[in-house]
Amino acid sequence: MKSWLAIGARAALIACSLIGPAGTSAASSSSTVSSDDPKVSRDREIQEIKREMRLLEHRVEDLENQNNELKKSNTQLKDDTQKLQTTTAQQIQTLQSQVTEPLSPTSFADAFNRYLGRYRFTVVGGAAGSFIYDNASNINTFTLDLEPIILWQISDRILFEGTVEASLPTGSAADFELPVADFQIFLNDYMTLLMGIYDQPFGDWYEDQSPLWVNRFITAPLPYGVNALIPPTDVGFQVRGGFQWGALGQVADYTLSVANGPTFTQSGCTDNTPPSLLPTCPSTALVGDVITGQNNIRLNTHSPAFGARIRVYPLPVDTRLGRLELGVSTYDGKWLNGYWLNGWGVDFNYFRDNLQARGEWIQTYRQMPSPQSADNRQGWYLQAGYFLSGLKVPGLPQSANQLLSKFEPVVRYSGTTQRAVVQSEIITSPEIGFTGSPAIFAPHAREVALGLDYWFTPSMAWQNEFDLELPSQGGFYSDTGDPIHATANDHAFLSQFAIGF
Amino acid sequence: MKARSLIFVLLSAAILTPITIQTPGRWSTRVASAAGFDPPSSPTERRALFRRGAQLWPIYCNTCHNARPASEFSPTEWTMILMHMRTQANLPAEDARAVLEYLKSSR
Repeated sequence: MKSWLAIGARAALIACSLIGPAGTSAASSSSTVSSDDPKVSRDREIQEIKREMRLLEHRVEDLENQNNELKKSNTQLKDDTQKLQTTTAQQIQTLQSQVTEPLSPTSFADAFNRYLGRYRFTVVGGAAGSFIYDNASNINTFTLDLEPIILWQISDRILFEGTVEASLPTGSAADFELPVADFQIFLNDYMTLLMGIYDQPFGDWYEDQSPLWVNRFITAPLPYGVNALIPPTDVGFQVRGGFQWGALGQVADYTLSVANGPTFTQSGCTDNTPPSLLPTCPSTALVGDVITGQNNIRLNTHSPAFGARIRVYPLPVDTRLGRLELGVSTYDGKWLNGYWLNGWGVDFNYFRDNLQARGEWIQTYRQMPSPQSADNRQGWYLQAGYFLSGLKVPGLPQSANQLLSKFEPVVRYSGTTQRAVVQSEIITSPEIGFTGSPAIFAPHAREVALGLDYWFTPSMAWQNEFDLELPSQGGFYSDTGDPIHATANDHAFLSQFAIGF
Repeated sequence: MKARSLIFVLLSAAILTPITIQTPGRWSTRVASAAGFDPPSSPTERRALFRRGAQLWPIYCNTCHNARPASEFSPTEWTMILMHMRTQANLPAEDARAVLEYLKSSR
């Protein structure tokens, strides 16, 4: 700005000096003509000064232009600064809100899992303590069972599952079994490969209903009891999966298995040499043998067994008609070289609100070495239960109604029919799943079970069961050859505290 | 016997081929996510899964046993339990993912 003032002042002085001499020269112009005249030299000076003025004017214009550009730049800078300040303030505000906002459980879990690493391991399962009373055998005993399930997630698509069953039967040391130990590989959305020891995928009982806290009763239904028609576990592999075929809830699933297959047990007669009252071990298989599966590795000289199971759920969720499951199963294998055990079954399960009903029918055909004829068996059960939640009895105080709402009465009718049983193979030490009553080992066994469960939480229950054993006449003991006449009815009472963890 | 062994090998190869082709050398996270329980890719997908899971959770669980509340297990444990249940009950993969999302988000 100072340079501008100086330029302006200088220009004013030059202008004054030009105006003054010009007035005097006009007065005396007529008398001076010569080129050496001072007038001429003054004109020259004037011309020079004028040229200088033009130059100065150009410079002033240039400076003014520069000034304008600088003004524009200044304005642009101010705008940019303003925008930057606004953006920065917004970013700070966002960061502050993120810092002050509480972390959601899912986000926290994801972050925590990333920190912990890839491998996952957890233990679930169940435990139960029971009291068993049987009238005929006069058994009064407590038992204890622990069934932890180890889950090990090796990767996003591989899971290892192992179940250890530890029980403490009366009069003997702890008993340990390994009914499940397998790898599950999720090949895609519709197929899972399972390899190892597994619950038999036949019917609904072994896989879905046998856990201590899942079973609405303390005992197993007769077809799945101590003399089960189908082996409870097997060693092999499965291919299985499920898919939606209609509306939401309309699904179907399949299970195909190849396994070591069935064999029979003679464990009950290993020490029955005289003077034992029990008969000596049979050298050959007998009609009515207890069929087993998983412990046949050393005996497996015959071909593998094949199994298949298909289930369909026809009711969509939106219809609110409940959940209906219809299933069909088959299990076929050689229990001895050249001799087949063929089994098939149908089952259903219906669940709606507080009502649940389920049932199964099983049929097995077992070829026997000559001269014995076929050992064919049938088994079935029908079960129903109703949760009293929501029930309000008029006149009862609210606390009593709340107590009542946690009860679930259940009823079950089950039976088996076969030609004979092997008396020496019957396990008589009571444990969960066994009533202790010899009546149920009649070839034509029938049982009515009445239960009353009290649910403390969804996975913790106090269960009570009253069993009526109603065996029908018929059949024989194949190890002694004695026919079985009418067997007296029996009853038993069981009480159990079961927890799923 | 040879024919049976050959059938077994071919069957195994047919089953395992997708793994070996898609995951050379190691299990890849991308392929694993296709069959496993990868988190929803967007909030919209998460909401849709949550709604689906909320419908299916009481139905699927109560079919066999009482439904366990979401608060009983951590999200990591639920992931393993749902993998277990997907096999045990043959749950469709999409439905298992939905139930898992519901249980993890409603804790």
